[in-house]
Amino acid sequence: MLKHNIGIGFRKDFAEEFLNTQILKPSFIELAPENWIDMGGYWKKLLDQAAEKYPITCHGLSLSIGSPDELDVAFVKQVKKFLKQYNVKVYSEHLSYSKCDNAHLYDLLPIPFKADAVKHIVARIKQVQDILEMPLVLENVSYYTPIAAEMNEHEFITAIINESNCKMLLDVNNVYVNAFNHNYNPKEFIQKLPLHNISYIHMAGHEKVSDTLIIDTHGQAIIDPVYELFNFASSLIKPVPVLLERDFNIPEMEELQNELSKIDAIVSKKWEVENAIA
Amino acid sequence: MQLLNNETRKQQQKLANYCRNGITIKIEKSIPENIPHYRRLVYNIITDTLETAYPITYNYLPDEQWNNLVHGFFSNHKCQTPQVWRMPLEFYEYVVANNIAEFYKIPFLNDLLYFEWIELEVHTMPDIDYPTIKQNASLLTDIIAINPEYKLIQLNYPVHLIAPVDKLEEKHGTYFLLAFRNKQNGNVQFMDLSILFAYIIENIANEITLSKIISNADALFQINDINTLQKHVLAFIEDLKQREFIIGFKL
Ligand SMILES: [Fe+2]
Repeated sequence: MLKHNIGIGFRKDFAEEFLNTQILKPSFIELAPENWIDMGGYWKKLLDQAAEKYPITCHGLSLSIGSPDELDVAFVKQVKKFLKQYNVKVYSEHLSYSKCDNAHLYDLLPIPFKADAVKHIVARIKQVQDILEMPLVLENVSYYTPIAAEMNEHEFITAIINESNCKMLLDVNNVYVNAFNHNYNPKEFIQKLPLHNISYIHMAGHEKVSDTLIIDTHGQAIIDPVYELFNFASSLIKPVPVLLERDFNIPEMEELQNELSKIDAIVSKKWEVENAIA
Repeated sequence: MQLLNNETRKQQQKLANYCRNGITIKIEKSIPENIPHYRRLVYNIITDTLETAYPITYNYLPDEQWNNLVHGFFSNHKCQTPQVWRMPLEFYEYVVANNIAEFYKIPFLNDLLYFEWIELEVHTMPDIDYPTIKQNASLLTDIIAINPEYKLIQLNYPVHLIAPVDKLEEKHGTYFLLAFRNKQNGNVQFMDLSILFAYIIENIANEITLSKIISNADALFQINDINTLQKHVLAFIEDLKQREFIIGFKL
């Protein structure tokens, strides 16, 4: 039994096994609304079962907050409807873009770290929040190259969070990955973030593809240095929900539960008071 | 008011275009050797999604043809759906709109893709409310209730009956296929139909009584033997009941 709000990503790959197991017992589940909106039949049944057992948070894929295109208002409204339907109180997205020139790419591309992009995104965050009538939570993403950058990643993220005053999803693994790939100190990076805006944390595994590059795959177990960085981060942050992301190479349920317990053990030392997700 | 500089927009477009068409680009202040990872990651999602949606087509087409087709699709077509699992429908529409079947000389290509898409579509489409029904009524004179979660499609090739390698291209004709979803387990069942049986299902769906359908069919198909036809149709109706496609009678 977990003491804190530690969740797991609800994926079709293991949805059925997850709903039938007594082993994996998260406090909540997170899912991508795009994968479930307007879906009926077998998958809707599983989703409804999951929704009966667990509170749901949503982590979107296609909002494309950093896109140069117009915001897709109809899509945001669809998301809003879904959040309402499943009583979802947390909607997070990625600080990246996945649509450009009116074409979806279904993956997270890096936004140029530039002042005009900050202004552009801050305006869009307001637009999204106005439609949703709830806060938007934005995640620091892994990136493998800067694009025409005029400031560093830290300045970019901080400017967006501060100017929009939106919430931040701190993905600890992504900080680790980016610090490795771009040679910065991950602890300093976290320390200087607008910590009071962090309302949610992601933990995940990654894949080292060369001596100089890590790719954020969500296909492996969390490595010790990422736990260590999480331990550091949790001492700076007020209690927030923490989510384990596992998208590929799904292991035995025991293994996932062990990772949840490990996360729980770390925050139990730091966070006395249980935080509520609802 | 435009807040984003044209230059910033241009850099973003460059990267996105490269992910779509794979044509090498130069981006300012970047790590050039890492840029191809974006193309690889994006493109993997596209190929994985299409290969999962269209396993028969993927296995049938020679690798080079399949790869060219996917590459052409993703470079030229702007994917509109924010839901990646719906993207294969756009792929099918692209193949039809661009006459790929003719270009590849695979006359049944459109039907094969459509058949594979229909399975996915019927499996995932939003739930439709079942009608309120009663179980005891007259098959011939009351309104038969059917499972509302179905699609009845027409094909020019029997892609649902014959594997592509078995000279499917020689089987041009008119075929009807019923695909419906089981309410309990969500499985999709297929049923090959003659034109007569397709006609019957269409009319049952339009709430025409079976006796009326049979007499209309007798004239339309110039059968002129209503008793034999009725026997034949009732056996079909029994089969549909067994398969839980016919669920009872409308109130
Ligand atoms: Fe994440």
